[in-house]
Amino acid sequence: MKNKSAISRRDFFKAGTIIVGGIAVTTALTPVDGLLFATERPAGKGKWYGIGIDIDKCIGCGKCANACKKENNVPQEPFYFRSWVEQYTIKNDGTIIVESPNGGIDGFKQSVPSEEIFKSFFVPKMCNHCAKSPCVQVCPVGATFETAEGIVLVDENYCIGCRYCVQACPYGCRYIHPVKKTVDKCTLCFHRLEKGLQPACFEICPTEARIFGDLNDPGSKLNYFLKNHTCMVIKPHLNTGSKLFYNALSPEVR
Amino acid sequence: MPQQVKRLISAFAVFIVLFLIMRQVLTPSSFGELGHFRAKAIQENMVRELRYAGSVNCSKCHEDIRANKAQGPHAQLKCEVCHGPGMKHALYAGQFTNGQLPDSLVLYKPGERKDCAICHQLNAARIKIQFDTINHTMIHQIDAMKHNLADTDTNIEFKCIECHNPHQP
Repeated sequence: MKNKSAISRRDFFKAGTIIVGGIAVTTALTPVDGLLFATERPAGKGKWYGIGIDIDKCIGCGKCANACKKENNVPQEPFYFRSWVEQYTIKNDGTIIVESPNGGIDGFKQSVPSEEIFKSFFVPKMCNHCAKSPCVQVCPVGATFETAEGIVLVDENYCIGCRYCVQACPYGCRYIHPVKKTVDKCTLCFHRLEKGLQPACFEICPTEARIFGDLNDPGSKLNYFLKNHTCMVIKPHLNTGSKLFYNALSPEVR
Repeated sequence: MPQQVKRLISAFAVFIVLFLIMRQVLTPSSFGELGHFRAKAIQENMVRELRYAGSVNCSKCHEDIRANKAQGPHAQLKCEVCHGPGMKHALYAGQFTNGQLPDSLVLYKPGERKDCAICHQLNAARIKIQFDTINHTMIHQIDAMKHNLADTDTNIEFKCIECHNPHQP
């Protein structure tokens, strides 16, 4: 058999051993990155904001969605939302009905007769301000980012409107602004936080179902809420590092 | 070194220099200071107009209403829940001491049945809600489209606020 290769068998094995061995050694020396769960905090000592929502307390008045639209100039059409409320109704036969007429702003009308309902509850939704945001990771130009305080923001003047992040968000919290043609999302009312005010939806909630606070401060209202309730994030299996914690979250909620 | 390689190297050098110049020109000034984004975008997100003043600012002038409301079941309701955003009102209404506010500063006064129904309309998802953790009272549920709808003699529709004072329901 004619040897087509210029390299000898001995040299081939030498090179192979060095390459494979090198890869094995560097892999063994690099610590394996563990999963970052939402409750794990970054190393910094500053503020790191999180959100708590008590589903048991929400009365579905939609005032939060309304306040958000007014505070942030969100277009009034019923399909642009930074914050909205959904009503989940689980019927006796197990079917799940999810409704959100105009995001809950005009109130909810019970569409299923009471005798057919097994349980029903409201779920307010908004940006989860994930610690490992899929939307930030996919942005091709660096127009969306996470601040040191753990707030995911959009750079309107740099966004090219490619819609990658709208697709990437597993919680459906982004939309393309019809006038600006750039992406728009919840900023956790960053402009209010800087003035020492609460975000509009937290300010307005009549039953105090929404709790907002600093996860790094052990004495904050939010940490008290998290300690005293059985809280869960939506879609934990996606490992987004969501910082929006729901009390009494049913597995039906997606 | 062969002639082809020399030409290739010089061509690459030109491309690399061009790339570096373009990168310098096209990258925004504060890009990369804090991460893979424009650091100035944080400032731009900070300066936006405020609409909601917060109930602390309301009670600076309307302390009597706050004190009255504090004794009723609507105590924990912030003013702007029903009256809408009031930052402009809080900033400028003080200038009009004669009580003649321009329309742009007048806040919404809810009084229709639908305004109350937003929270109090009968709904299966509201029935078990304990909205007050101290007194464990339930939110009052009413079918706003049936409850005391109209005067039996004159057939004129009642408004909720004709019987219930919203500050002291």
